[in-house]
Amino acid sequence: MTSLEELRKINARCIHCRACQYAYSGEPDREGETEEYTGMLQGCPAGLYFGWEGYYNSGKQWMARAFLEGDLEPSKELLEVVEACTTCGMCESQCENYIDTVAVTEALRAAIIEAGVEPLDKHKIFGVRVHDESLRNPYNEPREERTKWFSGETDNQEVKVAYFVGCTAAYRQQQIAEHTASILKKIGVDFTVLSDEVCCGSPILRTGQREIFKEVMNENLEMFKEFDLLLFSCAGCYKTFRNDYPAMSGGPLPFKVRHVVEFVYDLINEGKLKIDTEYAKKVTWHDPCHSIRHVGLAIEKEILNNSDNWLIDSRKAEKAKEAHFEIPRVVLKAIPGLKFHEMYRIKGDSFCCGAGGGVKAQFSDMALSTSKERLKEAASTGAEVLMTSCPFCVTNFNDGIKALKKEEEATGKDLSAVGSKLKVVELIELLDQLI
Amino acid sequence: MEYNKVTDEVVDKLKAICGEQYVTTSEPLRYSYMARGIMGLEAVLPEVIVRPANAEEVSKILVLANENLCPVTPAAGGLSGGFALPAIEPGGIYMDMTRMDTLQVDVDNRVMVVEPGLKSGDAWRIFKTKYPDWAPPIPDGAPPAATVLGDAIERGFSLVTGVYGPQADMIMGLEVVLPTGEIFRTGSWALDGAKPYYRWGPGPNPDGLFLGSQGAMGIITKAAIKMVPHPHYKTVVAYGGKNWEDIIEPAWLISKHEMGIAEHTVMVQGGNWPLVMTRWPKTNVPLDYEFYKKIGLSEYWMNYEIWAWTKEEQEYVMKGIDDIYKSYEAEKKTECPQWKLHPKQIASRLKKPNKIAIPYALWEAGFLFITWYTPWKESTAMMEEYCAKMEEYGFPPTMWVASIDHARQAIVMPILCFDSTEQGIYERIREFNLDTTRSFLKKGWLNYRPDPFVHAPETFSRTPEYYKMLVKFKKVLDPNMILHPGRLAMPWENVTGLPYPGSGGN
Ligand SMILES: Cc1cc2nc3c(=O)[nH]c(=O)nc-3n(C[C@H](O)[C@H](O)[C@H](O)COP(=O)(O)OP(=O)(O)OC[C@H]3O[C@@H](n4cnc5c(N)ncnc54)[C@H](O)[C@@H]3O)c2cc1C
Ligand code: SF4
Ligand code: SF4
Repeated sequence: MTSLEELRKINARCIHCRACQYAYSGEPDREGETEEYTGMLQGCPAGLYFGWEGYYNSGKQWMARAFLEGDLEPSKELLEVVEACTTCGMCESQCENYIDTVAVTEALRAAIIEAGVEPLDKHKIFGVRVHDESLRNPYNEPREERTKWFSGETDNQEVKVAYFVGCTAAYRQQQIAEHTASILKKIGVDFTVLSDEVCCGSPILRTGQREIFKEVMNENLEMFKEFDLLLFSCAGCYKTFRNDYPAMSGGPLPFKVRHVVEFVYDLINEGKLKIDTEYAKKVTWHDPCHSIRHVGLAIEKEILNNSDNWLIDSRKAEKAKEAHFEIPRVVLKAIPGLKFHEMYRIKGDSFCCGAGGGVKAQFSDMALSTSKERLKEAASTGAEVLMTSCPFCVTNFNDGIKALKKEEEATGKDLSAVGSKLKVVELIELLDQLI
Repeated sequence: MEYNKVTDEVVDKLKAICGEQYVTTSEPLRYSYMARGIMGLEAVLPEVIVRPANAEEVSKILVLANENLCPVTPAAGGLSGGFALPAIEPGGIYMDMTRMDTLQVDVDNRVMVVEPGLKSGDAWRIFKTKYPDWAPPIPDGAPPAATVLGDAIERGFSLVTGVYGPQADMIMGLEVVLPTGEIFRTGSWALDGAKPYYRWGPGPNPDGLFLGSQGAMGIITKAAIKMVPHPHYKTVVAYGGKNWEDIIEPAWLISKHEMGIAEHTVMVQGGNWPLVMTRWPKTNVPLDYEFYKKIGLSEYWMNYEIWAWTKEEQEYVMKGIDDIYKSYEAEKKTECPQWKLHPKQIASRLKKPNKIAIPYALWEAGFLFITWYTPWKESTAMMEEYCAKMEEYGFPPTMWVASIDHARQAIVMPILCFDSTEQGIYERIREFNLDTTRSFLKKGWLNYRPDPFVHAPETFSRTPEYYKMLVKFKKVLDPNMILHPGRLAMPWENVTGLPYPGSGGN
């Protein structure tokens, strides 16, 4: 189910209980280590930043309903409210009515645009670039340079594993692509990358530009269909392939998919990989919404969709979701010397970095403020390293730290208590150094 | 009664009062509040939203609304659905009070002072970290975003309602902004510098005019509410039964002494087996009682939440309850087996605030709580009639009941699970509501959250002198009828075609 119309009945379950505004809305007694981080807490980056009900999911569900009922006309004003959401899914984790909140938000965005409203300016630029066959990426980079970073054999159709690089690692954070390729080599995976690879479509789908999304989705599906397994280093690409492609194409994926961190986890779990090198640092972990929360939620819903008795199976589904949330933790705990200290809001209740859903490009102030809120929480653990595994989280946190440092320079204040001294590390990069 | 629309000039003045960033006429943002559901289904779109920061701003907004004859609707958590939304056209000014969310606690005086925006979940967190031996009387089964004050205004039922009575009984003083803008306090609090320690204050006390007024008599900007001791030996015991009487009678026997074991059973609530079934999608859960029987669910049951200071005290209370059940079973030759709750079931029942009542929308797509008070022992008859009517109108007979003040009164609450996307569903609900309301009023039972189009006019048609008294007060307090018009069926002609109370008919 993907169109707003198809989601009508799911949206109609919303009772405006506003539980989805809070992390741990179902755990009022949760113990934190400080008074600030205890019990239920504000958890919606959009609502926290703008304050108005319409920016929270609880308000958006009712705007979607008014739109479906024809009471609320499509307009730029509406699109601006609906797009100011990182699609982080914190709200979806809270909803006892199992409302696919992010699917509704994304479908509402698409419906507004399909009704003739122009995408917001920054989003439109993404769309134009991805639509352009000579680019097929949102960064305006030449298509032929997509695999320039790669020294191995591209387009090797003999192997069964492909690494889907994604636009950010291909053009902006090539070290992530290089580290991924290096890890795969070290653990003995015979893989290739495809020079024709195109944007996964994530930013396009999130911002409501579905026609363009379908073009790139179909190209990718066709191009990779003969492979057995696709590996990903980008949380966004992974979530898009894993969750959105089946929903948007209407059929199952022709290949298996796994994020590199999950792949490493599998090996550790099976006893095939042991990390010996020490990393003696105090680390906290930020769950990327796409590869952790959204995939966990999808696992839960996949079990329920196949169940004729939710009363019995909801526990099993929740356990499977929780098991997914453990993956990066198992990997981190397998690193000798690493002192792991969790933040308060984690897993399904994690607080977003602020970059997703097209927010970083279009609402940069909100993205920055959200990043700072999360950095403050990371700093409260006493960690020196903020570890994560998503190119957008890494960038947005680094932007947050830069802003804090600037503030320190301007005011002479020490802002280390709110995160100015944190070092952001991409787990894939670290794993490459340790394996 | 006619009202004026909110003009650009009014909006500019609102901005001057609250600050530009706290006023919006954005159509999408106005629609984001339009939650017709849970308690109230009817609502119209507000014209402007304001988010005042304090009582002074509230007062200025009301003065402005009077000058321009614009309706004003106050909202706290907004979880009562349509109740916290404008009832009649034009929608007017919607006052979102969520910015006013402070809490002050006076342990010596055992009173907390809350502003309208303070959420139950936040109150719970603050007490847990700072005053762990005390509890705020938050609504028992409401989601964490329901406010403490909103619940008191609605005279809801708190987590200790079985002992302390309805939430409104916990009030020790109010700070009210009258519809004409004057700010005053009630109880001992009226005296400058005095604590809210004596509810009846300089007397006579007008609290009752505001509690239960659904925001139609004045805007409450602060409430002093009793906080309660929070002993930490807590558990829940549950007993089944073959019919409503099997759960209502023993609860009365346990509660009527008021002291002893009754003192510790802070929350006594129960229901029937569809209460478990309808929390899941109709298409993905067994529909036959046999399945629920197999998983250990009685057709009817009552829970007793016990708070005690020691383990011995807790065991004494549990034994007392068990003894009463045993003698009831013997006397009535019936079976009320104890439901052996799993520790996880106990923990989930003890969790406050909780999300337990949210998923009834899963059954189809939407639900409505309808809340009635009856004398405790009459609740059996009411629930039997209600369940039969629910089935007659095509709704599953999901029913919940709780004791208020040691089983003096029952709050009886059917949960009407329906498909809000179905054509004609709201008419069906209205018919059902009318049918049951007419029958119940004849029996002397009262809806405590009367909606303006069915319950309020039907009730006031039968209490004409009371209604006329209310109108007198309303006219004194709110001469231009700007505050939440439509609520409490005032002005009468704006919500109903029934003859004016006392003028014949009905
Ligand atoms: C799933 C669910 C379960 C629930 N379970 C329980 C339960 O177990 N016990 C219980 O008691 N309640 C329960 N409730 C009801 C819940 O507690 C109500 O929503 C609450 O009582 C009203 O508080 P609110 O903050 O939502 O108020 P609102 O909905 O904002 O307002 C309630 C009414 O008061 C008026 N009002 C609001 N603020 C002011 C003000 N400052 N001055 C004057 N008038 C004002 C509004 O106009 C409206 O008429 C439940 C609700 C839900 C959704
Ligand atoms: S989306 Fe779910 S959690 Fe949020 S307000 Fe609606 S019903 Fe409540
Ligand atoms: S997806 Fe995230 S940002 Fe968007 S409404 Fe939900 S919690 Fe807020």
